[in-house]
Amino acid sequence: MISRMPPRLARWGLAAMLLSAIPAQAGETASQAISPPPAPGPPAGLADSAGLRATVFGTPPQDIAPMPSRVPLTEIDIACPWKRTVPAVFWFDRKLRVWFSAQDKPAPLAIVISGTGNDGNTAKLSILRGALYGAGYHVLTMPSPTFPGFIVAASSTGVAGDLMQDGRDLYAAMQRIVAHLPRKVRITDIDVLGYSLGGANAAVVKSIDAAEGKLKIHRAVMINPPVSLFASVGRLDKLFAVSIGSDDHAVERLYRRLYAQLANLYRASDRTQVNGDFLLGAAAASLKTDAEFSAAIALSFRSDLINMFFAGDLYAGTGVVVDPKNPPKVGDSLEEVERTLRSKSFSEYFTRVFAPYYLQHRPNSTAASLIADNRLDIIGDALRHDTDYYAQTNSNDLILDRREFAWLKNTLGSRIAVYDHGGHLGNIGERQQVADMLDMLGGRWTGGAK
Amino acid sequence: MKLLSLGMICVLLGGCASQEVSIRSEPAENPAAQNAAAAASAAAFAAAAQTSAASPTSTASAAAPDEEPAPPVTAADAPSMHTYDPWERLNRFTYRFNARFDERIFLPAANLYRRVPSALRSGVHNFFGNLSEVDRVINYTLQGRFKFGVRSFGRLVINSTLGIAGLIDVAKKLKLPGAPTSLSATLATWGMHPGPYLVVPLLGPSTLREGLGFLGDYGTSYAINVADLYRGDVSWGLGTVNAVDKRANVDFRYYASGSPFEYEDVRFLYMRKTLIEDEGLKPKHRKRGEKSPDRRNEAEEPAGK
Repeated sequence: MISRMPPRLARWGLAAMLLSAIPAQAGETASQAISPPPAPGPPAGLADSAGLRATVFGTPPQDIAPMPSRVPLTEIDIACPWKRTVPAVFWFDRKLRVWFSAQDKPAPLAIVISGTGNDGNTAKLSILRGALYGAGYHVLTMPSPTFPGFIVAASSTGVAGDLMQDGRDLYAAMQRIVAHLPRKVRITDIDVLGYSLGGANAAVVKSIDAAEGKLKIHRAVMINPPVSLFASVGRLDKLFAVSIGSDDHAVERLYRRLYAQLANLYRASDRTQVNGDFLLGAAAASLKTDAEFSAAIALSFRSDLINMFFAGDLYAGTGVVVDPKNPPKVGDSLEEVERTLRSKSFSEYFTRVFAPYYLQHRPNSTAASLIADNRLDIIGDALRHDTDYYAQTNSNDLILDRREFAWLKNTLGSRIAVYDHGGHLGNIGERQQVADMLDMLGGRWTGGAK
Repeated sequence: MKLLSLGMICVLLGGCASQEVSIRSEPAENPAAQNAAAAASAAAFAAAAQTSAASPTSTASAAAPDEEPAPPVTAADAPSMHTYDPWERLNRFTYRFNARFDERIFLPAANLYRRVPSALRSGVHNFFGNLSEVDRVINYTLQGRFKFGVRSFGRLVINSTLGIAGLIDVAKKLKLPGAPTSLSATLATWGMHPGPYLVVPLLGPSTLREGLGFLGDYGTSYAINVADLYRGDVSWGLGTVNAVDKRANVDFRYYASGSPFEYEDVRFLYMRKTLIEDEGLKPKHRKRGEKSPDRRNEAEEPAGK
């Protein structure tokens, strides 16, 4: 479960600096009543050195597919009546924000869903938007259901990360948005796609639509999807522990080292300002080894978790970091809460927020059944037999292990494109990836591993 | 009239709009150009990395015979994660005000401005950039960084003449790129700490020292009053255009993060950026045998608080 990697290295530098010291009181133990989900396989999944590097650096600009020179863009803020009461501290997230690019002639609509914790206008979405718009699609880009703006404005539970529940909320939001698009927009067909967790979300949305038929979604393309959400994030917890450390001061040590590195690079650079160019260069200069790439990746995923954990705890009333009887108000300092959250893993989110909430709301469920419900198996039959589902993945993707990779290949059969490079999302926008994606969406894909 | 304007601003900032759907047209994207720029920037970066690998000390200024390089910043010198913010409640209020102002007024104005042909926009941007060279010359001189002072002076002269009153950045094409500085940097060179974090109405994140620096720089410009631009009838209009131009060139959107921790995150990053820039202002060499420079933690709350 799964995230954008920072579109530019500069953003990694910032994300890394965002993580602050783990508080001294962080020794509290997770609830033992619910077993944490298993995390099979190596911490970096199938990723080799090149995969880790590609995950951090992304597609080199010279390898990006040809892009159009003009893509019109509208920003749509839409109220979703099924949302829960908006907590005071989320005063700015009352409406769901999505982005839409309209063709001026009848065209198919491609709805693209972002990766874990990300909004609907990331750099990766911008690349996909360009490619899809250039190929003649209307393009609607949406945030991940794990993005706080979605959790607050469009989730019916407030506790993100459940594939089917998130899929239902996404599906309801899509219907509402499509119904409110300007009248002059003429849609001939609807396809969904997404990257990382958004890929799994897209497939689930299509399966829901197959039963309900409200949007008549034609094809779905999953780009670097996870197979088992909690197995993937369990491995990311391990990656964090291995590359950064699991003791109370590990993150603070990393921050201090990074600060010193940036300060010394800046002193040596003869620059007069810390700007994007400097951070880009600094990140490239300081990221060289597998351990450093792993730390960057683990940090990026961990920072995506913070908002989701906070919102989930607030809505579920589980009281891990937010006192349910005395929730924070507008203007309250949240520094201590954020600091505490930085030490919280995906496993803790599962054991202390997600599972308690869903066990209470789903009679007869168990921790094991919740984990099983968050595997792509839940739509395995559709993926196996419906020829309108497609996938693109990489043989060195860090969110997959061998068994999951094999499951994806066996399940999708000839409807999966496998690339031998790119790690996790490190080849989005590449010529071949874009050409294959457009072939899949257009029903022209003839299959074959690359 | 003033009351009417004030009332309109209050309504706009009130946040009582309850419509179900709002659709706003944004400036169109140009992914082809963005990608070409990214490719060019990556190529330039790779070339620069090669050059610096070939001559690793090319950017370091020469040391006198009785000097040695100042010791590097170590992990132990890094400031703590806590940021000194004694005015937090007021700052948070101002941050929320700024977010609303930006969303309802500043950003729409900037987006409108982005529709102006890019040649005209870059002319406006260069014009205001050229005006700020006056302050830069003064500040670099006060900082004793004469190389940068001469560069800024050269840019001022070239762009004001060949660049037609600063509308064209000819100096940049002659490999004399701009080097921003401010009175705040001058005060830092003189040993002044940044002080507490401060969110300035309309301007955003700052520190006490930067707030003072901004006032000082503006006061200097006002006193010099080049071409009567700061005191004449056009000063308000020009100030507004300058502000909109600056906003249009900043890639930041309040609460695009969707995060309730945005205030904390922006404060943290802003203060670290400031502290790292301060490190760059410290002498790169010291007399042999001299004690290590003071690296007191400027971002930390003073002891005893």
